[in-house]
Amino acid sequence: MPQPDASHRPSFLLRPGEWALVLAIVLAIAVTALVDANHSYWDRPLESVRDIARNTALLGIFALGATVVIIAGGIDLSAGSMIALSGTVCATTMLALAPAQMMGFKPVGAVAVAAGCAASLLVGFLVGTLHAWLITSVRLPPFIATLATLVGLRSFARALCESSTAALTPTKSALINISDPFFKTVRDNVWIPVAVFGVLAIVTWLLLTRTVLGRHLHALGGNEQAARLAGIRTDNVKWFAYCFGAMTAALAGLFYMANESVAAPVNQGRGHELNAIAAAVVGGCSLAGGVGTVPGTVLGTIFLRVVIDAVSKIIKTGADVYEGLIVGIVVVIAVTLAQFGQLAKGGRQLLPGALGLSAIPTLAVLCGAIVSMTAGSRAGIAAGVGAAVLLGLVRLWESRRTA
Amino acid sequence: MTAAADTTGMGDATTQAVVMRGITKRFPGVVALADVTLEVRRGELHAICGENGAGKSTLMKILSGVYQPDEGDLEIAGRPVRFAGTRDAEQAGIAIIHQELALVEDLSVAANVFLGREKRTALGLLDDRGMHDECGRLLAMLECPVSPATRTGSLRVGDQQLVEIAKALSLEASIVVMDEPTSALTESESARLERTIKRLLAVGTTILYISHKMDEVFRLADRITVLRDGQHVRTVDRADTSPRQITGWMVGRELADHDFRHARTRGPTLLEVRDLTLPWPDHPRGYRLSNVSFDLHAGEILGVAGLMGAGRTELLETIFGAGEPTWTGEIRLDGKPVHYRHPREACDARIAMVTEDRKRLGLFPDLDVAGNVSLCSLSEALRGGLLSRQREEELVAGPIRDTGVKTPGPHAAITGLSGGNQQKCIISRWLLTKPAILLLDDPTRGIDVGAKAELYALIDRLCRDGLGVILTSSELPELLTLADRIIVLAEGRLTAEFPRAEATEQKIMEAATGG
Repeated sequence: MPQPDASHRPSFLLRPGEWALVLAIVLAIAVTALVDANHSYWDRPLESVRDIARNTALLGIFALGATVVIIAGGIDLSAGSMIALSGTVCATTMLALAPAQMMGFKPVGAVAVAAGCAASLLVGFLVGTLHAWLITSVRLPPFIATLATLVGLRSFARALCESSTAALTPTKSALINISDPFFKTVRDNVWIPVAVFGVLAIVTWLLLTRTVLGRHLHALGGNEQAARLAGIRTDNVKWFAYCFGAMTAALAGLFYMANESVAAPVNQGRGHELNAIAAAVVGGCSLAGGVGTVPGTVLGTIFLRVVIDAVSKIIKTGADVYEGLIVGIVVVIAVTLAQFGQLAKGGRQLLPGALGLSAIPTLAVLCGAIVSMTAGSRAGIAAGVGAAVLLGLVRLWESRRTA
Repeated sequence: MTAAADTTGMGDATTQAVVMRGITKRFPGVVALADVTLEVRRGELHAICGENGAGKSTLMKILSGVYQPDEGDLEIAGRPVRFAGTRDAEQAGIAIIHQELALVEDLSVAANVFLGREKRTALGLLDDRGMHDECGRLLAMLECPVSPATRTGSLRVGDQQLVEIAKALSLEASIVVMDEPTSALTESESARLERTIKRLLAVGTTILYISHKMDEVFRLADRITVLRDGQHVRTVDRADTSPRQITGWMVGRELADHDFRHARTRGPTLLEVRDLTLPWPDHPRGYRLSNVSFDLHAGEILGVAGLMGAGRTELLETIFGAGEPTWTGEIRLDGKPVHYRHPREACDARIAMVTEDRKRLGLFPDLDVAGNVSLCSLSEALRGGLLSRQREEELVAGPIRDTGVKTPGPHAAITGLSGGNQQKCIISRWLLTKPAILLLDDPTRGIDVGAKAELYALIDRLCRDGLGVILTSSELPELLTLADRIIVLAEGRLTAEFPRAEATEQKIMEAATGG
């Protein structure tokens, strides 16, 4: 038998794509530091770090959940609604146990806080169980099952909020204010979510790389039928994956609630599920299942937040308007670059035929519109024309190469 | 015009319907075709023979644009061509009827026949009536008694095949490739197909016919080409050769030389199957298996023969708890009745199953070699409750060495290995679970001849070590080489059982087709 070849031994550090993400993060920070007219990274470095760290930790907590679900070959679209439900359940529980203190903006006591948090995590477990049951027993596709809970859980959270406030307080409300000092401490100490994220990341990393269950998650996502025929109880593995996804979202929901000092089921966490999936995908997860790492997702989350922060520093006003746009662009570019080897080898064209030709003006108009909205119409026209010329050259080069 | 007149005349280019010159095709870890040259005359039926894995299907997929050759040229009717996809080949008048049928099951027969080339009305809408009528005409010509409006998925395999042929006819293809068309057909369906073939030949169609059934080849072919291990062995006129000679060229060195059957000692009864019946709702036959009974002893190899769809896979899956748990009858393991509902339970009872269709049902492409081998015995690779890379390497080293897997290392990508080595990895996976019964479902499918011989030796050795083995195979010589006893399934029923001394290909084939 041939000797084991050292080059086939997987690296204990990062994979090539993950090193590329590290580089991209450093680059994004460097560009922001140079371009930002307010010099916020130079003048107030701690504040910038705190900002990015908090946002990264909150997104990262349930991006880890999304990673586990995606590796298992599934998808969980309901994380944003689970965040809203988690906050609402926690607040409602505390309201039920200590109504006078809640309404008087006074401390509610350790027991009520613990019960509230435990109730949220329990609801996370129940939602995960519901997902697994819908997917394995009712045989709904994961996309449909979690699309239903994406819509349903937010509505359920609002109904819960309104009926509990109607029963326990003088007025019906779609908000419950949180003023317990425990949650204030969590809000004011950024290291708490960061520490929780760090510990959860290490636990998840151990789970995925060093446990039997983790190996079974990879096997399930890579080839579900073969996993069953290898004697793996695939239904139970899925049950775990969806519970892990929902419970990390519930945990993140508690932090969002603490951060905003309110449980607001209508808007809290809205759209966040897609950011979590985006972070996992940027970090190298394949939506086909079986592929993904914790370091990848952590770096993907950091990268996403750093880029969003960079744009907010550079554009200044109304940067949150562009958040979705940035996430979308980052996902497309990251996944395209991951296939770069295949494109470079010449097996495939980026701009083939009539579709490729039509894509050139589409992309040029998009590029011009974005630049003109952020940097003025003259720059916008220049950017649009520039993009059209560049893409035209790519097209020309590709058609020459294949001819 | 006759062939003799042409070869002397000037029109050499036009008498050749197809010329493939110096074709080489490599896949990761295996050379599927090495410098193969094939010339097919216009209007002839040219049979291509070879064992599984000889490169027949790959060659035909290159001809029909599914694959692009790494080296070599292609000429159709004297003109050099280059196919980027199946569409280009269709336009050049080539239609292929694949071994795995490529029909959209949820569409009607007519929609499948015209898929991608739909007829339209003057308004640009789909001309359903036109397609329906045209399709009906083609089906009638093929003696196919189905309505063009039938959902394709509800047809029998034989009728689905005729739908593929109708598609080829509607293309007005001048060259039709048939890849083992009769492998799933009944006798009467095969006869119907032969009449169709004669009709196609009569109108001047050139047919390339892949088969390893000698009787068919010698009834139909004008010329025969033999491939072996991806290489062209010989092309001959049918009149100048004999089935024995062709078979000899196909296998090269005689595989039958390996006689593994002597000196096995048969142990106690491991498994008893009595009146096993597996219902098949919504199917005219009503059952997948009906009243199947047999025993399996330790230290013996029980062969299960049968055509495609006879119930071989279903039988193994039922024993392994991987199929529908709705079966009736009795399965006794070591005398105790069992009824597994999940493969896990069968694994715990020391039953192992190597599935048919390695890629779909066996391999984990995202796990490395070690991960694929250790999957079913990970609890032995734990240290302090966590998986230890070192212990995993130690665990898999033994079976990887014993089964002779050729891999650059335990952490190489499994997808980089050849089919034979992948299969050895999967057998290694199950050997680690220390099974008492090993179920092998067509374990050498798509594996080259050399690796096959190694697998045979491995299976024989395992059996000598006291394992009870149930082996299914689509190749009768394989069963005749390895098995101590052979049972034959036909359409879900057990139709014969032969001890090794009495089994011949002829007898098995009769039992598998007639019943």
